[in-house]
Amino acid sequence: MRAVPIGVGVIVWGLTFGLMAREAGLSLLESSLMSTLVYSGTAQAATVGGLGAGVQAGAGILAGVATVLMLNARYLLYGASLRPWLGHATPAQAYATLYFLGDANWAMSTKAHADGENDAAFILGSGVSMFLPWVGGTVLGALAGNWIADPRMLGVDFLLVAFCAAMAMDLFKSRSDIAPAIAAVTVAALLDHFTPSGWTLVAAGVAGGLTAWLRYEEPA
Amino acid sequence: MTLRPELLPLLFALTLASFACRAGGFWLMRFVAVTPRLRATLAAAPLSVMLGIVTPAALRGGLPEIVGLAATFLAMHLWRRDLVATFVGVGAVAVCRFVQ
Repeated sequence: MRAVPIGVGVIVWGLTFGLMAREAGLSLLESSLMSTLVYSGTAQAATVGGLGAGVQAGAGILAGVATVLMLNARYLLYGASLRPWLGHATPAQAYATLYFLGDANWAMSTKAHADGENDAAFILGSGVSMFLPWVGGTVLGALAGNWIADPRMLGVDFLLVAFCAAMAMDLFKSRSDIAPAIAAVTVAALLDHFTPSGWTLVAAGVAGGLTAWLRYEEPA
Repeated sequence: MTLRPELLPLLFALTLASFACRAGGFWLMRFVAVTPRLRATLAAAPLSVMLGIVTPAALRGGLPEIVGLAATFLAMHLWRRDLVATFVGVGAVAVCRFVQ
């Protein structure tokens, strides 16, 4: 049930993308297919222009793939962090669950796991409860056209940031979290200043993880 | 309801790239033993990635984003409910942008 308010947020996100896709010239079928298959807000937003323009084979495809890989590299960390938990499911179940993996449901699952949730179906359930509003929102957005003049005015683009800020406060549990957090913020600030890209959060995750690795002390 | 066939190769490639990211990290961990140290490392990753999302937004943000983050933190501090805090933050951003 915790997923409901965020699910509402995802509908608005999906709506926004549906509007963007419509502007880019995608049909309703094309934009909803993209949301179903690619299922990534930022990656879709970044590549929908190329899809709408009609594809130049070769270079256009390579650039699109590179964009998705860069923007979604963080999922490598998400998936890796789920291994101890999701690794108990069958491969078919695990990879089906991973198909629906998203920022919010991963964060929610991580939190639930830390609070003692051990049923891997939680990951699938929270994933699907984000996926459906995403695709549904896309359809609505593609249909609704001019109803929302400026989604930015509703703060829609801030949703992920606010959610991550709240989750970060939630995940900050003990003194051993301080050093990784400082490392992550430092690396993110430096990278964003010099080479802003989708790799910034990946590098922050690696820096925090590496710091925890280096500072880990074997129990006596 | 049209689907232009010439879009399918790109759509397929984007789909594969997206799923490779989702499944890749999980798959790679098959070949790495999960020691307590590695567990501590992976446990630190979520917090770090989230800070990696929040930090650039805070640095680049104008007044609405800064107010939004402050509102999120304050709400979180008061109620410890992440979803409430999220929408307090989003609402603060919307109000600031409207006033500006």
